[in-house]
Amino acid sequence: MLKAFSKEKWQYLMYTVSHPMDGYYWIRRQERGSVPIAILLVIVFGICFTSNRLLASFVVNDVDPRGVNLAFELLGVLLFYLLLCVSNWSVTSLMNGEGRLKDIAIAIGYGTLPVSFGLVLATLVSQFLADDEQAFYTIILIITIAYGLIMVMIGIMQVHNYTLGKTLITLFLTFVAMLIIVFIVLLLTNLLGRVFNFFASIYTEIIFRT
Amino acid sequence: MRLNICKRIAALTMALGVLFTSVTAQAETLPYESYNYTYWEDIVYTPAPYEPDYVVAGRDLEFNGEPIGAFNSPQDICSDSEGTLYLADTGNNRIIVMDSKMNGVLNVITGFDNAGAEDSFKQPSGVAVSESGELYIADSQNRRIVVLFPDGTLDRIVDNPQAEVLEDGFVFVPLKVTVDYANRIYCIAQNMFEGIMVFETNGEFTGFFGTINVEITLWERFWRKLATRAQRAKSQLFIPTEFTGIDIDPDGFVYASNITSDGVQGVRRLNPRGQDVIQKGTNENLGGDLNIDGSTDYSGPSQFVDVVYRGNGIYSCLDRKRGRIFTYDHEGNLLYIFGGLGTQTGTFRLPVAIENVNGDIVVLDATNASVTYFKETEYGRLINQAVSLRYDGDEAQAVALWQRVLTLDENNELANTGIGKAYLTAGDYENAMKYLKLGMARDYYSVAYKRYRNNALTESANVVFTVIIAVIVLIIVLRKLLKNGYIRIGKRKEGGNA
Repeated sequence: MLKAFSKEKWQYLMYTVSHPMDGYYWIRRQERGSVPIAILLVIVFGICFTSNRLLASFVVNDVDPRGVNLAFELLGVLLFYLLLCVSNWSVTSLMNGEGRLKDIAIAIGYGTLPVSFGLVLATLVSQFLADDEQAFYTIILIITIAYGLIMVMIGIMQVHNYTLGKTLITLFLTFVAMLIIVFIVLLLTNLLGRVFNFFASIYTEIIFRT
Repeated sequence: MRLNICKRIAALTMALGVLFTSVTAQAETLPYESYNYTYWEDIVYTPAPYEPDYVVAGRDLEFNGEPIGAFNSPQDICSDSEGTLYLADTGNNRIIVMDSKMNGVLNVITGFDNAGAEDSFKQPSGVAVSESGELYIADSQNRRIVVLFPDGTLDRIVDNPQAEVLEDGFVFVPLKVTVDYANRIYCIAQNMFEGIMVFETNGEFTGFFGTINVEITLWERFWRKLATRAQRAKSQLFIPTEFTGIDIDPDGFVYASNITSDGVQGVRRLNPRGQDVIQKGTNENLGGDLNIDGSTDYSGPSQFVDVVYRGNGIYSCLDRKRGRIFTYDHEGNLLYIFGGLGTQTGTFRLPVAIENVNGDIVVLDATNASVTYFKETEYGRLINQAVSLRYDGDEAQAVALWQRVLTLDENNELANTGIGKAYLTAGDYENAMKYLKLGMARDYYSVAYKRYRNNALTESANVVFTVIIAVIVLIIVLRKLLKNGYIRIGKRKEGGNA
C-alpha cells in the first residue's frame, strides 16, 4: 500500500498530466501508475464537484444548495467511475485491447485531476466575478474539462495500444455497454425483488396459517 | 357533589376557551391559506394579504323597500371609477347597481326603451362601464351588446357583426365585454377561437385581437404525419383556447385571461395592435400555481376565469380550479396568493368574476349566487403601496414600506430585493449585496458586487502599489548586496546539499 503512494508514483502522476502520451505508455509497460492514487483522485474529483456546486459564487451558481449532498454525489461519481472502467474493460477485451482493468482505472482516474483543478480554480475565481464576466468562469471549466477528456482518451489509446480511430469507436461502444450494464442491473434488482417478495409472502402465509 | 363536578367542567371549558382564543392567531381563523412561491418554487406561507369582510347575496338586498330576491347564476361584476358596482344577474335577466360597500341597491335595470318599445335582456353575462359612465351589457342570448347611458336610456345596440372573416351562420353570443377610453368595444364571444372581437365606436366590427396561436410541438407533428386519415380524424383537435375574462387599463392595454393546459401563461396584456406585451418574472410563469403535478381532481394547472387590473401595474387573476386569487405586478412577480374553495365565508364554490373596489377586492360566485368583499390587510396594503411606488420609479420611498413587510414576512423576496435596490442606489453596496442575495436578484446583486469590488480596489490601491514597489526595491537592493558579497544565503560555499 505504501508503495502505491510512494513519491515516485506522485511524481509520475505529474509527469503523466504534463506528458499524457508518454506517461500512459509507460504506465502500461512499466507499472509506473498506481490504482489507489487513481481512486483517490476520483474521490477528490467528487469532493471538488460538490464544492463547486455548493460554493461557487451567487452570480454564477444556480444550484439549490439544499439539493446538494456530498455523500450522494460522491457515491454517484464512484459508481459512474466503476461503471465506466468495467464497461470499457469488457469492450476492449473483445477488441484486442492490451490494457488490464488496472490500467483503465488509472487512465480514467488520472484524467480527473485537471478537471478537479479546474473546478477548484473556477470556484475561487467566481468569488471575484460580476455577471458580465462569467465567460472567465466558463472558459476555465471548458478548458480543464476538455483537457481531462483528452487525457482519458489518450490514456485509453495508449494502454490498449490503439489507433485514434479505434479509440473513438471503443469509446462509443463503451457508452453502449454502460447502457446495457445499467439495464441489466435494473432488471436484476427488479427480478430479485420479486423473488424476495415471493419468499416473503410465503413466510407471512406460513406465519398466519399456523 | 354533582354540582361540584358541573362547576369544575364549566371552569375547565372556560379555561380551555380562553387558552384557545389566545393561541389562535388571526391567520388561522381564515378559511384559506395565504402563500407565495420562492425563487426555488417552494411554497412559503405568508400573512393574509386580504381578509373576507362580508358576503352579500341577493336575498339580503332591498330596492325601493322591496326585496330584490336571490341572484340566479350571476356571471359578471364590474365597477366604475367611483366604485359603484354593476352586477350581471344572468339567470334573472337583470343588472343590479350597488354602492361600493354593497350596502344598498341603487338601481335594478331589467329593460330599456328601444325606439319606443320596451326591450329586456336575455341572459346578460357581461357588464362593463366606460370612463364617461355608459354601461355596456353583453346580452348573450339576444346576441347583442347593449349600451346604456348613465340614466338608463338606450345609447346604441351593437349586434350582427358583418365581416368576411366570420363563417356563414356564425351566431354572435357575447359573453364578456370591456371598453377603452375611445369607446372601442372588446368582446369575448362564445366559440370564437380567433380571439377577442373588436368593435369601433360606431359599432362596426373591425376584426380579431390577441389571437392565441396554437403551438404544435415537433413530436406531435411527427405523430400526425404517421397517423392514418381515420386516426387523425379521431384525434384531438388543436384548437386555440378561448379567452375567459377581460379588463382594460387606463392606457388602453387589454388584460385577458385564458385557460391553459400547461399552466404557463394564463393571462395576457394586449397592446392596441393585439400583441401580447405582458412581462414575465424570473420563472417565466404567469399561470398561477406551480406545483400542479398529480392526477386527482384537485391537481392540474390553475384555470383563470377573470382578471382585473388594479392600478400601478398590479393585476389579479381568479382561479376557478382551486378558488384562489393570484396577484402579479407589472414585472410578472407573484405578489401574493389567497382564497380557496369551500363553504365558509371567504371561500367559493364557482368563482366567476373579480373586481377592484377602491383597493379592495370583490369576487362573484355563481353557484353561491353571492359576492364576497375582501378587505386589504396591513400586509396587503404595504405590498400594494410599495409595488406602486416602485412602479412610479420611487424606490427610495418604498424602502420603509418594504422594511415593514419584512417584519411581517421575513422571507419576502420582493421586499429584500426592494431594500437591496435602494441600498444600491444609495451607494451602500455591502448591504445591497446582502439584501439582493436574500431576494435572489442575481442581476442587481452582480451590479452591486461590481461596484463594491471597484471601491475596494480603489481604496486599497495605495497600499497595494506601495507594497509592490517596496518589494521590488527590496529585491533590487538584496540582489546588489548578494552580488557584491555583503551577505550570503545558505551554505553555498561549504558545498552542502542546496
